[in-house]
Amino acid sequence: MSYLEIDQVDVSFGPVSDRTHVLSDINLSVKENEFVAVIGFSGAGKSTLMSLLAGLQEPTKGEVRMNGEVIKEPGPDLGLMFQNYSLLPWLTVNENIRLAVKTVFPKLSKKEITDKIGHYVDMVKLSHAGDKLPHELSGGMRQRASLARTLSLDPKVLLLDEPLSALDALTRSELQDQILNIWETDKRTVVMITNDVDEAVLMADRIVPLTMGPSATLAEEYKVSMERPRDRQTLNDHPEFMRLKSEITNFMMGLNKESKELAKGSLIPMPDIRPKDFSLPTARPRLKNKQSQPTSAA
Amino acid sequence: MAESSKDKIKYGLLKFIDVSGFKVFDPPVRLIFGEDPQKQIRDIAKFMVLPMVFVLLCIFTWNFLAPTHKTKSGAVPTPAKVWDAYKDNRRFDERENEKEEAFALTGEEREAEIAAVKAELVELEKKSTELQKLSDEATKVGQAKIDNAIAPIKTQYDELNAKFREERKERKAELNSLAEKIAEKQATTDELITAVKADRTATDQEKTLLKDLKTKMDDIRSDPPEEIKAAQLAANKVADEVQHYKKRLDYLTSGNRELKVVKLEEKIAADQSELVAAADPKAILKEAKSVVSNEEKIVKTAEQDYPRTATIFWQTRRSIATVFVGFFIAAIVAIPLGIMCGLNRIIMACLTPIISIFRPVSPVVWLLIFQIIVGAFFPDPETHWLFKTLNNDTILWGLLPNPIAFLQTNPAMIFSACTVAMCALWPALVNTALGVSAIDKDHMNVARVLKLGFWSRLFKIVIPSSLPLVFAGLRISLGVGWMVLIAAEALSSSDGLGKFVWDEYQNGSSQSFANIILACFIVGIIGFFLDRIMIILQRLVSFDDGSATA
Ligand SMILES: Nc1ncnc2c1ncn2[C@@H]1O[C@H](COP(=O)(O)OP(=O)(O)OP(=O)(O)O)[C@@H](O)[C@H]1O
Ligand SMILES: [Mg+2]
Repeated sequence: MSYLEIDQVDVSFGPVSDRTHVLSDINLSVKENEFVAVIGFSGAGKSTLMSLLAGLQEPTKGEVRMNGEVIKEPGPDLGLMFQNYSLLPWLTVNENIRLAVKTVFPKLSKKEITDKIGHYVDMVKLSHAGDKLPHELSGGMRQRASLARTLSLDPKVLLLDEPLSALDALTRSELQDQILNIWETDKRTVVMITNDVDEAVLMADRIVPLTMGPSATLAEEYKVSMERPRDRQTLNDHPEFMRLKSEITNFMMGLNKESKELAKGSLIPMPDIRPKDFSLPTARPRLKNKQSQPTSAA
Repeated sequence: MAESSKDKIKYGLLKFIDVSGFKVFDPPVRLIFGEDPQKQIRDIAKFMVLPMVFVLLCIFTWNFLAPTHKTKSGAVPTPAKVWDAYKDNRRFDERENEKEEAFALTGEEREAEIAAVKAELVELEKKSTELQKLSDEATKVGQAKIDNAIAPIKTQYDELNAKFREERKERKAELNSLAEKIAEKQATTDELITAVKADRTATDQEKTLLKDLKTKMDDIRSDPPEEIKAAQLAANKVADEVQHYKKRLDYLTSGNRELKVVKLEEKIAADQSELVAAADPKAILKEAKSVVSNEEKIVKTAEQDYPRTATIFWQTRRSIATVFVGFFIAAIVAIPLGIMCGLNRIIMACLTPIISIFRPVSPVVWLLIFQIIVGAFFPDPETHWLFKTLNNDTILWGLLPNPIAFLQTNPAMIFSACTVAMCALWPALVNTALGVSAIDKDHMNVARVLKLGFWSRLFKIVIPSSLPLVFAGLRISLGVGWMVLIAAEALSSSDGLGKFVWDEYQNGSSQSFANIILACFIVGIIGFFLDRIMIILQRLVSFDDGSATA
């Protein structure tokens, strides 16, 4: 039974005379406690899809439902992490999170609130920057602060819009584990947007590609049936991981090519200048296991 | 550790400089802490020394050009004259303080003060007579010099005058004869006309010559030698001081508040004994009336304050108080209205016509309107409870002295403040509305996700995010208010710097012009500091690097 459901949804912007159809004919159903990853090119409409799920954007046509009820307005149950962080610039990191916690859990005592803030700020490794204003933080630090704020809402559904895109590989894998950890222990539903196929395959139960806009729609999904917990160290040797990765990558590249052709209208023969080998020229040390590395976040 | 605490002080100082907008002092502070001395010295030269040199250059130009322009109120005052005017105003202020003190002194303190003043007065009078003598002598000597200088010119003038008179007579006779000849047809009219013209030119030339000589003499007379001026100035200064001491003595004796009360009490006692002794009913009634009226007078006298003459410093304080009253009225009205406009398009639409029509109205018109309206509220301001409370000597039932009693609040202050408020309202209102309506959509989305209620949305999101623009508006408002206020005071003779300028313009004493320029500087300097205060506030509320302030 589906918990979160997008049913025949179209989204378009602008006046009738000059309408941009961003999403059309979107159907998605997410089961309770499922982890779904959405991948797509920039500008395809991924954030718009997220806004739909969060209730911030009304569909032009169709319905978005949660637990069988139409989502009419946003709320803390649908914990959206904004792609542009949306931290309040006049509040420090701690105050940003405090505002969220205090609003969503008005019954907590002062100490409980402080503990909660401390817990999430610690989780994203920002304890040293808790009293800084957003403009004093790096892009990655802001992203982590925003993630901490979303997690602190303790939402039933986590909607993460490219939550880790601005982070270095180390911090990124660490936070991937943290998100997976929260998802597994507290059992909740997660929809995550990512532009990293590895990340999607590593984390999700299902991967849904979004085709190129305009009028983007969801393509055939990929089920990730690898057993959990998935070990980052051995993943690269896992046949299913390799298969999914190359399939999805190929599919996305195909989309890209298709849209280019569409845009051009006709196909101009191009010289074949692809390199013979996709592997990297030198043997770059791959970070296979984050535990063995000293963490130097921020 | 010492290093880091030093650094702390340094960066604290630099931050303060940055926030207060005195960026100029950044290089010297860095220099003191030994940071890259060469660069700092270059910066100091560029951004401190050069501007200072430029300002000095301006002052020199002023000093040089001012005396060359003669006006009805004398030459344009030089910087030195304006500085003198400042010092004179200071002295005037101090003397007012001394007299005020003398007026209120009582008992033994007063006796001691009388003795001191008297002793001082004797000294001063001695000095004054001496200086007067010196001055007289100097004047005599100087007068002789002047006479000497004038004498030759005078003789020349008299001679020329006599000569010209003769010549004029001759020319007149000639013209007459020429006219007669024409009548006898012995000459042509053309000849006569040429002659008349020649006569006129000659007369004009003579007149200019005489006039030149006269101006020469006048100039010598009106510009007595320096030593006379100095001697007279010294004498006048001490004579002035003597005058002041006499007045002070007056306020310590017959003009003293306590003594006035004592005198009235004596009168009452006398009246009462007469009342008892009187037999005639008319006389009895008269004495009784006298007792009552004197009793009333005692109450009034005991409450009386020294009738201070308004000095420029008092006027300045009054103007500052008025501008803040007006500014706060403006802020209290503009900010909530602006927030409502920014939040609700309908309210914005309702207010737009009102804003558009009233914003361009001249402050002068508002002044007149408020003068009439406020006047109607206080038909008898002397006895109105509002002014009685505001000007009472004490507040909180006599517990504390009233800090604003010195302002002598009156309807004029209220309508000036209202005018300021009316003109300062618009920038604050428009900027607040702009700040609220331009709130980032992402921030509103955060509020929606958190399901903030209306009031938390207002106080947690809307107001903080619009605060920088609100303060930018308030800053403009205060600047506008200060400008409007000075004009309003000048126009309506309501106490303040504007009135000071206007009074000086009207009374036209030798120092008036310098006083007006002094007031100009005071207005400018205070305006500058008001702006600084607002800049600091604006930087404190802005959350993005303070770059919002331009
Ligand atoms: N409010 C809006 N009005 C008009 N057009 C919009 C609006 N919001 C989004 N769009 C359009 O919808 C399209 C998809 O935008 P969206 O932000 O969802 O892309 P995205 O997939 O999240 O891209 P990225 O990966 O770069 O974040 C864009 O072409 C954008 O111009
Ligand atoms: Mg996006």
